[in-house]
Amino acid sequence: MARARTRVLISRSMLQARSTYDDFIRTFGSVLFAVSLFLVWGLLTLIGVIVDQGKDAATYLASYPAPVARAIVRLGFDNIYHSPWYVGIIALILTSLAVCTFKRVIPARLPALRPVKIDKIPLHASIGVRGDEARVRARIEQFFRSRGWHVRNRSFEGTEWSFADKFNWARRGVLIAHLGFVIIAAGTTVYWARGFSGDTAIVTGESVEIPQTHAVIKLNDFAYRISPILTKSGMVYQPIDYVSHVTVTGNDGIPKPMTVRVNHPIDIDGTLYYQASYGFAMRFTVTHNGKRDAQLSDRIVAEGETIDLPGTHTSVGYDRFVPTVDRRSGMPAPDPRVNDPAVVLSVTQNGSNAGSALVPLRTWIDAGSGWRIVPAQYLLFSGFQYRYDPGIPLVGIGALVLLTGLIVSFYFLPARLFVRIDETAGACSVGLAATTVKGYDIFETQFRELIEELKRAMDPPESRTDFSPVEAF
Amino acid sequence: MTGHLQADELLMIVSIACYILGALALGVYFFSREEWLRNLGAPLAIAGCLAQFAQLIVRFETTHIWPLLNLYGSLSLFAAMSVAIFIGFAIRYKMWFAGGFVLAIAAIALAYGVTWNEGTMPAVPSLQSYWAKVHVPIVVSSYAAFLVAFVFSCIYLIKYYAEARIAVVESSVELAGTGMTMRVSGDTPSLETAAASGNRTAAWLTTLPSLAQLDVIVYRAVAIGLPLISLGIITGAAWAKEAWGAYWQWDPKETAALATWIVYLAYMHLHTRNAWRGMRTNWVSVGGFMLVIFTYLGVNIWISGLHSYKM
Ligand code: HEM
Repeated sequence: MARARTRVLISRSMLQARSTYDDFIRTFGSVLFAVSLFLVWGLLTLIGVIVDQGKDAATYLASYPAPVARAIVRLGFDNIYHSPWYVGIIALILTSLAVCTFKRVIPARLPALRPVKIDKIPLHASIGVRGDEARVRARIEQFFRSRGWHVRNRSFEGTEWSFADKFNWARRGVLIAHLGFVIIAAGTTVYWARGFSGDTAIVTGESVEIPQTHAVIKLNDFAYRISPILTKSGMVYQPIDYVSHVTVTGNDGIPKPMTVRVNHPIDIDGTLYYQASYGFAMRFTVTHNGKRDAQLSDRIVAEGETIDLPGTHTSVGYDRFVPTVDRRSGMPAPDPRVNDPAVVLSVTQNGSNAGSALVPLRTWIDAGSGWRIVPAQYLLFSGFQYRYDPGIPLVGIGALVLLTGLIVSFYFLPARLFVRIDETAGACSVGLAATTVKGYDIFETQFRELIEELKRAMDPPESRTDFSPVEAF
Repeated sequence: MTGHLQADELLMIVSIACYILGALALGVYFFSREEWLRNLGAPLAIAGCLAQFAQLIVRFETTHIWPLLNLYGSLSLFAAMSVAIFIGFAIRYKMWFAGGFVLAIAAIALAYGVTWNEGTMPAVPSLQSYWAKVHVPIVVSSYAAFLVAFVFSCIYLIKYYAEARIAVVESSVELAGTGMTMRVSGDTPSLETAAASGNRTAAWLTTLPSLAQLDVIVYRAVAIGLPLISLGIITGAAWAKEAWGAYWQWDPKETAALATWIVYLAYMHLHTRNAWRGMRTNWVSVGGFMLVIFTYLGVNIWISGLHSYKM
């Protein structure tokens, strides 16, 4: 008794599991479900275009109404491409792709040779040809073979069928395209699992050790070339070139000189280093009651950093470098080349902003309590990005496979003709139907032309007899 | 130098003029089907397109600067490629009647592009790359193919809704009495009956290709655009890798292009479903083109990123 109940329970839970499995396969095997996933993917992608990415909460609060800004941060839309939504939707797409491939694409695209009901297929025609079946079949085969169709004959329950295929190999186009997408996904996963990236700024004459690779890079000098160009809407300062001369020491411990410019990264032990940005660091001469403070004066200060004045509640911030000051107005000029440089300094006292000033180089500001600050010397720094991405070869191969799949899918239309010949009294009625992997409309003109040609070939004017084939069109 | 620049400006004026006149001729031809209008419009389209390519070549020859790396150059290539792809379709599938719309949009794109002409400027460092040189024409050509798809989708939808108003029932024809049937994706019998009984809209609708034929044209145009935008995204990624270190940076422009790619991918998948092929896929094509415009111009104008041409 107890045993019987257990068996019932087991089979009920098996049935339940079975129906959950069926639901899963039905849902994930549906193209419309896949398209819905695409649209959600597209929508999330667009949200990332419209909402600035990677900013802090205050930025969103400043640009959106508070509830929207809060939603952006809470839902992870500020870093959407790494949010669970985004990764999740791609995982769902890959699952759906896998299910569709086995449940739908392979059975639909690679169907076995089977007889059909000719007149149930929208593209069909029949023509009458004199002669016995064997001869007619041989002529029809010859007709299709000479036009590049691959003809196969099969017998089903005593009835002989001919199947003519064109671009049969191209039925795999979809599989190739899908495979390409999977390879790209695999390539990006390899980067997530094993790759890294980062950035660093090196001031002229200084060295930096890259934490992940322990490569040491010394910036010997950095140069930029900017051309002023008079355009219709005024003067534009067009950057032409950024060049860093560096000495790098990689795993082999041997220092080597190298040059990095935009679009010409360098490779140190498989990690690539790119020219990404540049800027101006400063050395300030800081004096207290006329006496130079050696520690503060030797410091290299980057834009955005501050100098805290010892023994006071005052700090001086180096906000921005101004390469050129307009001599007449005394205001920053748009020329990004260093002509008459100055710096924007802001003074904070007891935590509140006490004002800021544009201070030309080698002039000074008084920060109170006997402190005086002189922007003494600017130092160019060069910004590098570096990246180690072992997934790149996979992504590249995936992209090529995907592209090949698209071209095969779109430009080689696999079509199959079903030919059945029925002989009555020395004449044959040849029934033909055509299917393609893209419906019927796309093949209609070709089918019509093919049938016309076939009719002409089967019934050349010189051999016409009393037998009148039924007009197809 | 000045003389050459004048040649370039002259060619630009010639192409805009050809497009405007061609758009008028083919626009009227769309409604009236007077042969002479097509015979006038078609050569104007071809002449305008040739003048545009000549203009781009002259500009390159005189400045030695790849002429496509700003909005002016790229919009002008967009206009030229749209017209070129359209001419291909018009010749191959006898579709000149749609030329008015394509030429009008090309003329607008060109005229708008001219407002962005800043004169000659060398490229900023990140644009000095072979990838950039091939990436831009490929992407712009994909947009041009999508424009052609969009125009035919609009015509499809016009015909679809107009037919529905004429209360057309079914569209497959049985060639009864012949002992033989064959699908004929021609117009529906009721549309032809309505046309024969003097309904002018119906008569005009029968001059357009059947819905099935229009749908195939849209499919073929998307089948040009989708591989091109895929290749465009791939070359863009290769270029980004060279210039910025990462092949994909989630920068607004490339991301918007990805969204566009996804929408046309959805189009292609829906097109494999019988129930969705037709009116619904054509709406997707129209929506896809709206996204193309956003990606092409909207992102540059509203959202700045690595790709903004003013970098
Ligand atoms: C959720 C992911 C995907 C699923 C479930 C899916 C499923 C399918 C299915 C079922 C078909 C139609 C097969 C047929 O009816 O014969 C198809 C066609 C196709 N798929 Fe996908 N697919 C997915 C993603 C992709 C991606 C990412 C690409 C891009 C490379 C792609 C490219 C294609 C192409 C080119 C076709 C042929 C369309 C045509 O011939 O008109 N698919 N897909």
